Amino acid sequence: MMSKILLVAINEYRVNVFKKSFIFVLLSVPLFLGFIIGFGMFMDSQENDDAPVGYVDTAGILQDATPAPVENPEEAIQFIAFETEQDAKSALEEGRIQAYYIFGEDYQESRNAELVYYDTPGQDATRQFNDFLQINLLSDFPSEIALRGTEGSSVTVRAPDGSREFPDGGPPFGIVLPVIIGLALMFLLMTAGGFMMEGVVQERENRTIEVIVTSVSPGQMVTGKILGIVWICLTQLVAWILFGILALFLAQNVYEISWFQNPVIDWEGMLAILLIGIPTFFLSVALMFTVGSTVAEAQEGQGLGPIIFILSISPTWFIMKIGEDPNGPFAVALSMVPFASLLTVGIRNMLVAVPWWQIVLSAGLQTVVALGAIWLGGQAFRFGMLRVGQRINLREIFRSGTPRRKKLSEGGVS
Amino acid sequence: MSSVEISHIAKSFGEVQAVVDVSFEVQRGEIFGLLGPNGAGKTTTIRIMLDLFKADAGEVSILGGPMTEAKKERIGYMPEDRGLYQDIPLERCLVYLASLKGLPKAEIKEQLSTYLERFDLAEHRSKKVKELSKGMQQKAQIINTLLHKPELVIIDEPFTALDPINTQLVKDVMLELRDEGTTILMSTHQMHQVEELCDRIVLIDEGYNVLYGNLNEIRRRYSGHAVMVRSESDLPELAGVEAIQSHNNAVKILLTEETKPNDVLHQLVSKNIALEKFEIAVPTLDEIFIKVVEEGEDR
Repeated sequence: MMSKILLVAINEYRVNVFKKSFIFVLLSVPLFLGFIIGFGMFMDSQENDDAPVGYVDTAGILQDATPAPVENPEEAIQFIAFETEQDAKSALEEGRIQAYYIFGEDYQESRNAELVYYDTPGQDATRQFNDFLQINLLSDFPSEIALRGTEGSSVTVRAPDGSREFPDGGPPFGIVLPVIIGLALMFLLMTAGGFMMEGVVQERENRTIEVIVTSVSPGQMVTGKILGIVWICLTQLVAWILFGILALFLAQNVYEISWFQNPVIDWEGMLAILLIGIPTFFLSVALMFTVGSTVAEAQEGQGLGPIIFILSISPTWFIMKIGEDPNGPFAVALSMVPFASLLTVGIRNMLVAVPWWQIVLSAGLQTVVALGAIWLGGQAFRFGMLRVGQRINLREIFRSGTPRRKKLSEGGVS
Repeated sequence: MSSVEISHIAKSFGEVQAVVDVSFEVQRGEIFGLLGPNGAGKTTTIRIMLDLFKADAGEVSILGGPMTEAKKERIGYMPEDRGLYQDIPLERCLVYLASLKGLPKAEIKEQLSTYLERFDLAEHRSKKVKELSKGMQQKAQIINTLLHKPELVIIDEPFTALDPINTQLVKDVMLELRDEGTTILMSTHQMHQVEELCDRIVLIDEGYNVLYGNLNEIRRRYSGHAVMVRSESDLPELAGVEAIQSHNNAVKILLTEETKPNDVLHQLVSKNIALEKFEIAVPTLDEIFIKVVEEGEDR
């Protein structure tokens, strides 16, 4: 026969997973990201125009012009030389070109050129023409120097302690991934806590709890509920991971975005996030469970969600402060604060190698706080489960932990 | 052997003393009435019995000892109103709750079909519980309480929201269960149902037992010194009578202390009065309830 814990867990899972709100949450994050990326690509396509660009070169700098290398030859813009400005203007009016440059005779001295257009030319066209101009202005130099000129600046960012080095000026995808996982965990613990609180309040409101605890022990019920919530979150996580893999595949193979190519995953960073994220998850669930066991109505308990959310995202407000000294006292202290620790460690990990003792200490602290919250949740549940429509305060919960007994005199039955 | 033994239990919540001193026993195979005005401590007593609350004092024995997890499967409990998941289909809700009582799924399905048919809910099995009428939800709760064939049924206000036909149906089911040996503890305010169904009762008021025992004995105890008489002819003058009062289609004859009912019957028969009814005047449970509770208030 199936264990009662398992029965409670399966019911919790079925009740929540088939809710419209769950499906909305499940799809909202990937859809939101998809929308942002799609919108960006749409805006990008609107800004790009692959029509040819013309130029009138009276300065003689683009005679026998050398084409500049283009990363993707399919996106190469054609540059057309015009003898006179009138010819270029006619081409622009006829729509054969999107814009044209005029290099006056004094260009070599003044470095002033004119750009004529009706609609602002696309970024690709501008960038490719700049490369084209640059490589031809450097035509007297050896080709490797001319090519280097078109590549622009190259900045390598290094952490002061040398533990992080970003040759492209910013953290690569593999280093950012733990932060993304941290954010996903943050959303998970928010939704999990929400499901837990809503479920407990509803069961108290409709008195189902009174029927259930005459079939299973409170411990079995709470364990089953937590197990069900964990399954729900795993479902969510698996769905998000699948969406993430799809997005990564598209970014690598369809859109060929260099940032996503050959990612080197920061497994240590991932481990740190999981070590802190798992107890934080249980802390959130336990706190919401406690609130669900003590409030009179679900609405009353909804105040805790925003507090957890604000605490969780608070490291983003201090990102400059953390960035200035990622291993400084402020960043280390914030790494120990429940909920804030998750993102703080994620951000710090992008910039420096966070010492393991701090990660272990933070994970330990979150575990202790989570265990305390679970204990509190158990007390609150036992005390508050049958007090329908009544709010219960912390003092009552703590007092309920110490039973009071008194002797009664014999008799009393009439 | 008793199914339930409650001995001098007490329970308070903060400053509020919900139960002060309550004791009673429920015998195996009887229908027992747990009565009392609102706030008397009935629900708290039931919850202590079910180990949902720990008593501050006193002893509880249920099915032969303290409550255990295993015993939960032998008990059916229906709280007063609600107690079912509202947002899921009726059948799923009942199957889940019965499975928590340790009943195998195949048996649940079989039992459930029988009960749904009997309670006229079969065609509503796929509806969400919240879509059912109050009466239907009440019947669904009763099914949930009985589905796993409990030895002990604890049922709070079983007739709430039921029409006369369904009330009779529930009463029939309860009597059948009693005949099969199931112990039923029923808490209700509907005294006429208690009179029809219960063998014994306990009346709780302000956390104390105020009345406890066999229902007929209690009624006799409160019967006073009177007889109810109905006759087509006018009643003659009778010796040993203090007063005669009209009472529905009969008269209530209040006797002097030394007069026995037999003396009055003898006088009536000797005077050739055709009697349609002659019985010792026994108060209704409603009357006893009001009297006892009012006496409690006066104390």
